[in-house]
This record gives sequence, structure tokens and C-alpha cells, in this order.
Amino acid sequence: MSDSDTALREDFLVLENVEQHFDLGRALLTRESKGVVKAVDGISLTIREGEILGIVGESGCGKTTLSRTIMQLIRPTSGRIFLEGKELSALSDADIRAERINFQMIFQDPYASLNPRLTVFTTISEAIRTRHPDVRGEALRGRVIELLRTVGLNPAQMNRYPHEFSGGQRQRVAIARALAPEPKLVIADEPVSALDVSIQSQILNLLKRLSREMGLTMIFVSHDLSVVRYIADRIAVMYRGRIIELGRAETIVDDPRHIYTKALMSAIPQPDPRAERTRERILLEDEPPGADKSPGKDVEDDLEEVTPGHLVSTRPFERRVKEAEAPAQ
Amino acid sequence: MSRSADIVAGAEQRLAAAPVPEEFEKGTSLWEDAWHRLQRNRLAMISLFVFSAIVLFCVIGPFLSPYDAEAQDLLKGAQGPSAEHWFGTDTLGRDLMVRTMEGGRISLLVGLIATLVALAIGVVYGATAGYLGGKVDATMMRIVDTLYALPFTIFVILLMVAFGRSLWLIFVAIGAVEWLSMARIVRAGVIGLKKQEFVEAAVSLGYSHTRIIVRHLIPNVLGPVIVIATLTVPAVMLLEAFLSFLGLGVQPPNASWGVLINEGQQNMEIFPWLLMFPAFFFALTLFTLNFLGDGLRDALDPKSAKD
Repeated sequence: MSDSDTALREDFLVLENVEQHFDLGRALLTRESKGVVKAVDGISLTIREGEILGIVGESGCGKTTLSRTIMQLIRPTSGRIFLEGKELSALSDADIRAERINFQMIFQDPYASLNPRLTVFTTISEAIRTRHPDVRGEALRGRVIELLRTVGLNPAQMNRYPHEFSGGQRQRVAIARALAPEPKLVIADEPVSALDVSIQSQILNLLKRLSREMGLTMIFVSHDLSVVRYIADRIAVMYRGRIIELGRAETIVDDPRHIYTKALMSAIPQPDPRAERTRERILLEDEPPGADKSPGKDVEDDLEEVTPGHLVSTRPFERRVKEAEAPAQ
Repeated sequence: MSRSADIVAGAEQRLAAAPVPEEFEKGTSLWEDAWHRLQRNRLAMISLFVFSAIVLFCVIGPFLSPYDAEAQDLLKGAQGPSAEHWFGTDTLGRDLMVRTMEGGRISLLVGLIATLVALAIGVVYGATAGYLGGKVDATMMRIVDTLYALPFTIFVILLMVAFGRSLWLIFVAIGAVEWLSMARIVRAGVIGLKKQEFVEAAVSLGYSHTRIIVRHLIPNVLGPVIVIATLTVPAVMLLEAFLSFLGLGVQPPNASWGVLINEGQQNMEIFPWLLMFPAFFFALTLFTLNFLGDGLRDALDPKSAKD
């Protein structure tokens, strides 16, 4: 690789107060605003080159919207996004197209993320040619074969169509396609949640290995904290469009500070049956009604550094603990 | 993570070290799958065979026949089927078999060309509207709605009055009407598809709008479109027959099946063969195309197939 190996950028990907608000429009007769959904509500993050950042949160917390916003599939309502110092959020639609080969996405559903009419070879070779438009013929074929091997697929099957593969194999094809343009940043949005548990670990290991070998920077989005803690160097916990806790994976897992993170942690089953029986369970009350239309502008930076690199939200958390007990047995 | 993961990692490494494969497996595309399913549908395959036979009959027939479609022989006017004239002759002594073939050429040509025109316009228009969405989509579809509201017959009569009668005008007139439903179908399909992750993946790779529409969206809505197109051909042929029946369509001495049927019905009680032969071929063509369209629908969308 290049000299980037020696000097890894600290500010590889920078998000500055990124917001993604969806206007629900106006009521038909009264013309009253139906409100605004703040899917991403002021997120600031700095991601180091080569690190894997895990983003966890319940469904609807905005983690998928955040990844699509970073991917510039939806342009942010406000805030700025920099990749290697270049402000993506300021580029025009035409300029962003040329930039896209540098950041790729692995999607959730391998049954929907591959064009059913194209062979694996076509899908991947076209993705390779986004960066190397002049490569064709034998050279192109060689690259496709190499890439398929890297993701653990049999190149002899490259003339097959997506429907002739299993879910795990399709996800490998999708990973190969994401790697084909030689991106610097890969965003994996729930890449294993559509797969069987036995396949999940294979894909996780593959992603982990690839990011190490290729020096990829990765954002790994999942609702499953046990998956994220396995793969991620740092974990950001999202709740209702904001980050409420951020820190090194071990810190978040061993020493969660925010009550929401603690509740998430307590939901992970333990492999050891004895530990599982004595596991502490924290259940939170349901969200108060109408909480999704919080009016007014919030405090911009509410994260407090409790220990170096470990940030916890200081905002009042509206959900109370319903139950915190170690089931006696 | 676990032993099984180690085993898989080991397998991955072995795979990475393997030599370049000698042979590549052949994949089966969705089109090939559909073709295999269609081949198992007996009614559709018979229809395909019969339809091809009719097309061959009409296209090649006139070259093999000793008679000219426009050659009149008034001494042999309105004779029934015989060894000399298999389908008999019309009131002007023209060989009905050659006239049926020539009429079939025109009817099929109208059917195919008008459908292709409708297909081309409808697919491009519908895909563009569906893909771009928003105000562009709304405007484009309101135009379609407006055109839909025009009464077809009056539209054609106006065209004929304004531009005179010609075969090309029939293509234009019918094509201009038929593309509307095609556009709606394609638009609906594209709107459903563009939320799919493979389209987002194509956007992520920086592909142009044109490329995404042509390569990723259109091929995936083509299934229902092909079905509709197959069912549009007979509909268009009926329209043409209807226009010709009204005297607005193909003009003598040219004949389409519609013209022949019109001539035939005038003498239906005295010279029934004049109606029977063209009507038989016309009906047979419509039947086979409809069966073929149904078969294609089941083959291209196996989920909708009813058992």
C-alpha cells in the first residue's frame, strides 16, 4: 500500500453536527405541519483511519439513516461530513459521483442488494471498472477471480446469477462488490442480521480479516451489541438520532455508564448457563408518548468525557428503569 | 469466534491458494429459467408454434402463390374454394388466399410496429418518471392522464382528417394510445424497484442515472412489460381491424384482415368463405397471442401462476 500505512489519519472521517430531518408535510385541509422526524439529530464523530467503529441502537434510532447520510445516498439536512479532509456534504451531485468509489456500502439484505439480472462476474467487473475503467479482458477477469477468492467464493462459479447462491454466499458477493472499487471507507449496515447464526460468524470474521489486511476503515452498524463488540474497536451507542455513549469497545462492554447502554448490555444472553441465570436484567419503561416530536433546538454538544476517550451523554434520559433484578434461581 | 469459523477461515485460505479454475460453471439467468418454464406450458408452446406458422404463411406465402393479390379476373369472380383457388376468389376475382396472406402481413405489421413504438416510448417515459420521482414524475404522469382522457376514435378521425389516410398514421395513432398503459406499468415497477438495495448499490458505485435506468431498472421490469406487449399486439390488431371496418384504416387495394372481414361481411350470406377465411386466421392469431401472453406471465412471474 501507500505511505498512508505509516501515518494513519486521525481525522479520516469527520462528522460535524450532522442532522437528517424528514419533513412529514402538511395536513391536507388545515395546512398544519405534521411535524419533522429527526432521524439523525446532531451527530459529531471523528473516525480514525483503519479503525472499525460499531454503531448500535434499537431499530428506528437512526443508525441506518446515519449510514445512508454518510454514504451521501441522502444528503444531510445540515452539518458537515469530511472524508480525508474533503467535505463530501458540500460537493454537488455530479462531483459526488466521482468521489463515490472511495466509500462503499455493504447492505443488510443480500437477497435485495444484488441485481438479479447480472452474473456475479458482471456485477463485480463493473464495480472494478469504476476505479480502473481501462482494465478489460484477461486482466479484468484475473482481478475478479482474485477478489472472489479474497471473500471466500469459488471463482469457478462467477458466471452464475445471484439466485443460484445462498444468503451467505450472496453477502460475500456483495462484500466483493463493495471492495472492488478499492474504497477507503466501508459502511456495513446490518450486514449479518439477514443471515443464519452459523453464517453470521463467518461473515463477521471475513469482514474483520479484510479490514485488517486491507487497512480498511469500517463503520459497522447493528442492533446487536454482541455482534458489534466482537468486531468493533470503538462503539457508539445511538438513541433517537443522537449518540448517547461512545468509547472503546471493551470500555462500553465492561463499564457502560449510560442507563440505556446498561440496558442494552443486560439484554445479551450469556453463553455460560450459570452466568445466564444470574444475569442482571435492566428493563426500561416505554417511551413517553409524543416523545418523537421533541420541539426546539437541543444543546449541540452534550457528550461529557468521563474517562479519556469515553464519552457519555449528559442529557436527561426520559425513560425510567422499570425492573432491575437478578432473577433468583 | 469459534472452531467452525477457524475451519471456514482455513477453507478460505486454501481457496485463495488454489490455481485458476480451468472451467467455469454456466449460470442460468432468470430469462433462461422463464424459457424453461414456458416450455413446460403446453398451451403456450402450441400457441407459439401456431402463431409462428401463421407468420410464416403470411410472410412467405405470397412468394409461393402463382396469383397476385391485386390481379383481378372478373370471369372467375366470387368462386368458392376449389383446387385452383384454395380459399376461393372475391367478387373481383382476386385469389382470396393471397389476399389473406397479404392482409395478414399488414395486420401483423401494424400489430408489431405499433406495439414496438408503444413499448419504446412507454418504457423510456415510464422508467424516467418513476426513477426521477417528485415533481417531474407528477408532471409526466399528468400528461399521460390527459392523453388517456382523449377519446381514441375521435383522435384517430382528427389525425386522418388532418394528415390524410396512410398506413404510417395508423402506427402513430395506435402507438400513441397504447404507450400510455405501458408507461404506467413501467413507472409502477420502477418505483417499486428503486427502493431496492441493488439500486442504492448502483448509486453508491457512482453510476450515471442513464446507466442505472437502462442496466439496473429496465431489465428488472421487462418481465411484466413483455407480457403486456404480447397482449398488446392482438389488442392493436383489433383496433386496426376496427378502424379498417369503419373505413378509417388501410385503404384498397391494400388489405388488412380487418378490411377483408369488412368486405366479407357485406356478402356474408351469399359468399360465406369471403368472411370465413380471414376471420379464421384473425381469430386464430388473437387466440394464440393471448395464450402465449398468459403463458409468458406465468413463466416470467412464477409466484403469480395459478395452479
